[in-house]
Amino acid sequence: MRDDLRTIGALMRRGLNEILRVPAGAIPGVLAPTIFMLGLSAAFAEAARLPGFSADDFRTFIVPVGMLQGAGFTGAATGINLARDIEQGWFDRLMLAPAKRPVLLAGVVGSACLRCLLPASFLLIVAFGLGVSWPGVGALALAALLIMGLAAAAACYATVLALRFRTQQAAPLMQVGTFVAVLFTTAYVPRELLADWLRAIADVNPVTHVLEGVRQGFVGDVTWAATWPALLALAGLVAVFGALAVRGMRRQGF
Amino acid sequence: MQYHRQIAAIEVIGLEREFKGAIKAVDGIDLEVARGEVFGFLGPNGAGKTTTVRMLVTLLRPTGGHARVAGFDVADQPAEVRRRIGVALQDAALDPLMTGSELIELQATLHGIAPRSVRARGAELIERVGLSRAAGRRVGTYSGGMRRRLDLAMALIHEPEVLFLDEPTTGLDPTSRLTLWDEVRRLRDEGTTVFLTTQYLEEADQLADRLGIIAAGRIVAGGTPAALKAEVGSPHLDLVLADRADLERAREVVAAFGDHRPASDGCHLSVGLAHGAADIAPILRALDDAGFGVAELELKQPTLDDVFLAKTGEHLEGAAESEPEAAPELV
Repeated sequence: MRDDLRTIGALMRRGLNEILRVPAGAIPGVLAPTIFMLGLSAAFAEAARLPGFSADDFRTFIVPVGMLQGAGFTGAATGINLARDIEQGWFDRLMLAPAKRPVLLAGVVGSACLRCLLPASFLLIVAFGLGVSWPGVGALALAALLIMGLAAAAACYATVLALRFRTQQAAPLMQVGTFVAVLFTTAYVPRELLADWLRAIADVNPVTHVLEGVRQGFVGDVTWAATWPALLALAGLVAVFGALAVRGMRRQGF
Repeated sequence: MQYHRQIAAIEVIGLEREFKGAIKAVDGIDLEVARGEVFGFLGPNGAGKTTTVRMLVTLLRPTGGHARVAGFDVADQPAEVRRRIGVALQDAALDPLMTGSELIELQATLHGIAPRSVRARGAELIERVGLSRAAGRRVGTYSGGMRRRLDLAMALIHEPEVLFLDEPTTGLDPTSRLTLWDEVRRLRDEGTTVFLTTQYLEEADQLADRLGIIAAGRIVAGGTPAALKAEVGSPHLDLVLADRADLERAREVVAAFGDHRPASDGCHLSVGLAHGAADIAPILRALDDAGFGVAELELKQPTLDDVFLAKTGEHLEGAAESEPEAAPELV
């Protein structure tokens, strides 16, 4: 067990190396959610005046979406990096380690959980500077936990694709998956204002529950009723994509 | 323990790997590598060397046959195999953003080496491969030779019983190649079993205790380099006559010494020596007695390329050079 944790830690440190040693490479991923938040809140500021809109201002409503998108981008980047490792042969070295495959996956995915906090932090600093209301430490901690979970699920999803296609050319597929998953939720308007077909999709989309879990505190109070579906949805996403990713790793060799 | 020593380091029976489209990259090979020996796996590009290695190191599942490495079945006990092998694949895959020391420590952690031993073992290996001064530098700044040596150090971090080196000197300059050869010999002296794939005849000849020659996915010959060469024939004596007059008569004179009728071309004669170098003096005397002067002579031993030619009907790619060509590089 101790060896497993050390392996996970070592792989997470390697995953963080890119940010620490090539910080310029991380800038687009860090800035994108903030730019997204600024652009959308400027374009749709008046939407908050619609009857049935649950937030006082659109910027506060959209901040959690930016946090989720940051987590999604980070997860996709993890898959792209893995595809590069496959192309360059580093992945073979990983597969030659006697460590269990789920442990290796946890190391790869674990770095995504930490890295997703960077775009979220930058986004929040800008958002609070622009007057977004403070959700409270508990709500922020819960939001951090949930976006880390979503980054893990997105990283597992991207890992599945990286192992399937074994090329960085699969990057658009990795990115579009999480983008679409966030798009077909209550990201831009409350559930009651969605078109019927979109509401039907959002209702069955597990990411909707994750988003509503992150949104607590920013809009309304933190409640267990909104928290457990978010945790359950994440557990399901990580379990499904994690299992597929481990299966993919095992199919690479033994 | 006695029993353990007697188990072969690598046992392969009928190993196969078929890819989509019914392409058999490896077609039922058998081989056995004794503990502590350097086994050379020689063959041209595309012969199946790397596919075989990838199956033996658990990176590729065989589609037929069985293989045991360090006493464990590669298909049923892959984790046990991985604990006991070191692998340096054809392309030294190293993270360019990490330093040599960091990579060694990461490799040690991946192999479950206790943290208190990691630093000391890593430093020892880095010194052994001559990278102490570069250990703190990012690998992206290393030359090809340095990367190979670091790759070798990483493969040795957990003191493997069996070391797989897949074309370790391809693309290296002569100095780096000789350094790596010395390290392979040192490992053999220390008792490590080395499975070395190469397409270079000289490398196989210099390093391997025994050889397996693979072509088109099948083992076509196996044995010690000396035995394989002896199998394909005796040494040849190449002669250049001082005068091309009456070449036919000269040919008849030397034919008495060879096991085959010698080939000739212009002033050149070539004769197989049934009794090896001991035949040289009698041949020269016979030619002298018959009035032929000899301008040049060269004794040619059979080469591994002759073995390859005899077994497959083709020359091994690059045999003419007999050693790898590489652009000079800093080491």
